[in-house]
Amino acid sequence: MLSIIKLRVLRLRDDVMVFVLMTAMALGFTAIFGASFDSYKPSVVIVDEDKSFYSEYFIDELEKNKSFNFTESDKISASKEVEEGRVLGALIVHKGFHEGIEAGNEISLGVMKVKDDVLILSLQETVSGIVLKMSGGIKVAGLTADFIHFATDEANIEEIRESAYNNFMESWKFRNPISVTSTVAATGAASGYNGLKHSMIGFTLFFSMYTMVFAIGTILSDKQYKTWERMLISPVSKTSILGGSMIVAYLTGAVQMGLLILCGKYLLKIDWGSSMAGVLLVSAAFVFAVTSLGLMMSGFIKTQGQLGSMAPIILTSTSMLGGCMWPLEIVNNRILLFLAELTPQKWAMQGIESIASNGMGFEAAVLPSGILLLMGMIYFTVGVKALNK
Amino acid sequence: MLRVENLYKSFNNVKAVEGVSFEVSRGKVFGLLGPNGAGKSTTISVISTLLEPDSGDVFLEGKSILSNPGIIRKNLGVVPQDIALYPTLSGYENLSFWGSVYGLRGAELKKRIAEVSDVIGLNGRLKDRVDKYSGGMKRRINIGAALLHKPEILIMDEPTVGIDPQSRNHILDTALELNRQGMTIIYTSHYMEEVEYLCNEICIMDEGKIIASGNKQELIDLVKEKTQINIKLNTMNDSVLSALKEIKGVYEARLNEDMIVLFVSGSTALTAEIIAKITENGWLIESIDVKKPNLEAVFLHLTGKALRD
Repeated sequence: MLSIIKLRVLRLRDDVMVFVLMTAMALGFTAIFGASFDSYKPSVVIVDEDKSFYSEYFIDELEKNKSFNFTESDKISASKEVEEGRVLGALIVHKGFHEGIEAGNEISLGVMKVKDDVLILSLQETVSGIVLKMSGGIKVAGLTADFIHFATDEANIEEIRESAYNNFMESWKFRNPISVTSTVAATGAASGYNGLKHSMIGFTLFFSMYTMVFAIGTILSDKQYKTWERMLISPVSKTSILGGSMIVAYLTGAVQMGLLILCGKYLLKIDWGSSMAGVLLVSAAFVFAVTSLGLMMSGFIKTQGQLGSMAPIILTSTSMLGGCMWPLEIVNNRILLFLAELTPQKWAMQGIESIASNGMGFEAAVLPSGILLLMGMIYFTVGVKALNK
Repeated sequence: MLRVENLYKSFNNVKAVEGVSFEVSRGKVFGLLGPNGAGKSTTISVISTLLEPDSGDVFLEGKSILSNPGIIRKNLGVVPQDIALYPTLSGYENLSFWGSVYGLRGAELKKRIAEVSDVIGLNGRLKDRVDKYSGGMKRRINIGAALLHKPEILIMDEPTVGIDPQSRNHILDTALELNRQGMTIIYTSHYMEEVEYLCNEICIMDEGKIIASGNKQELIDLVKEKTQINIKLNTMNDSVLSALKEIKGVYEARLNEDMIVLFVSGSTALTAEIIAKITENGWLIESIDVKKPNLEAVFLHLTGKALRD
């Protein structure tokens, strides 16, 4: 096997350009697309059925939020927009909102949505935060007004209450630097969408796949140069030939993934989350799955030329499906979401993003890595059988 | 040394090899002669363990190579019909890799590369990439890659296809020299002259079957009556042909462009008789060429078609 490994390493000279180009492309595309995806804001329609002072105040507060684009509309149009997938969801401020929030009762807000996902959860968190803030403000304002009214009998209690409420809400602005910092650390990172990070992960996976598939695809050039047959009649076993080829292809992919993770960290200042071990575990399983996928493709494809034509089609389409190019949260089609489950990219994205974007730990890497290893074993088995034919 | 027994192999219902059997003796150059598609390469692929036959077996020193391919792989060097090398690697890197797959390492490998490069005459060019080599040089290094581990048996599958005469002669001489050193060689070709030049034992194949076998003389004896005499006279007409046909021993005479072609039972005396007959009729001989039967004639005789058809 050592001689096969040495050969594959020697032959990497032919693929140096692919390696360099794909690494540079991953970084370049991350920088370009990451910046544009960072400005991506899901749209949410607000239907105000209450039309009260507090409902308007609530909407004003929502519109100050920078994570979503809020627009007002009527219920029918909102429903249509949600159905057609043009907006993430619709928030309905039911009648009785004003009375409810003033009395400190439970507030009923409706959310029209197609599915539950991270963004909807984030929206619900934002809404509850604002309602709680408003509710607190109203209570403080009421107490203040009652106290002043009790102390100075002549004072207009409604004016005092409004002034107190406004002052209370205004005061949040000055407390924001302190509380926002803690919010970002505690909840923002746990559920937020980070375009640069998503792009970095997506493009790292996407471009490194090319290197891995072409590295193992060297078997096809063996067939083309007739050296494959010459190897088969030598004392070296087929297991050694495939094993040696897989090892070098795997290491090539792993080195590239590692380089991209390091470049992301130090060049693009990407925080890969609290569990680097988890990120590396998912990456390692992903490299195995993709190398095996390349082996399987080499079993069915006859020449490197064919691989050159087929690889972009297969890798690009599965990367799109798997969420490398855009977040899967914006996909509503159930068939596409089902197909995504079948791609290694989806599981790698899920594993790495859970750690790097959603603040989860090593445990988030276990399931995706297991599925990637299973996929890899299936591809490997099919590939070996196809090559043995 | 090597016995091929009743091989059958089909590809998609096309019979490539049908009941091929032969034996190769140690130290001989064994030739498989036949046109393209005769089944030579399929037979070679089975012997080299690349293909499994549908039935039949191959024995090396009495041991089946089908049940234990390892016994032949270590002792076999194969020069494939196509150049089986890495074009972007240098000649040295190629030889080094092929030596290493046969277990050669370190100083031993270096020594063998130096020896083999002497044999194939590429000593000064090993640092160059193989894709910079001429066709003949590629053929020679293709042979070199099969010699590094000093195989007992060397299979050369049409090793001279598409190269210049100088490289071809070099390859043939190399094969003879290796045989002189004790290597058993199985040589396949559709070039009759190469097989005649090199081989002590010959099998002629056509359409997947062996149609004749033996040494060169035994095969030629199959067509000894087919000596061909080409004569050019100052007079060329039907009466000349009729007169020559009357000679006992001439069994065919035809006018071929500006030449009279006679097929005769191969005796020198008959040639003298033909000349006497021509002189007696007052015709002048401009040229005469006596062609003894060769393997081409044997093949023609056995199949009714030329080797390169």
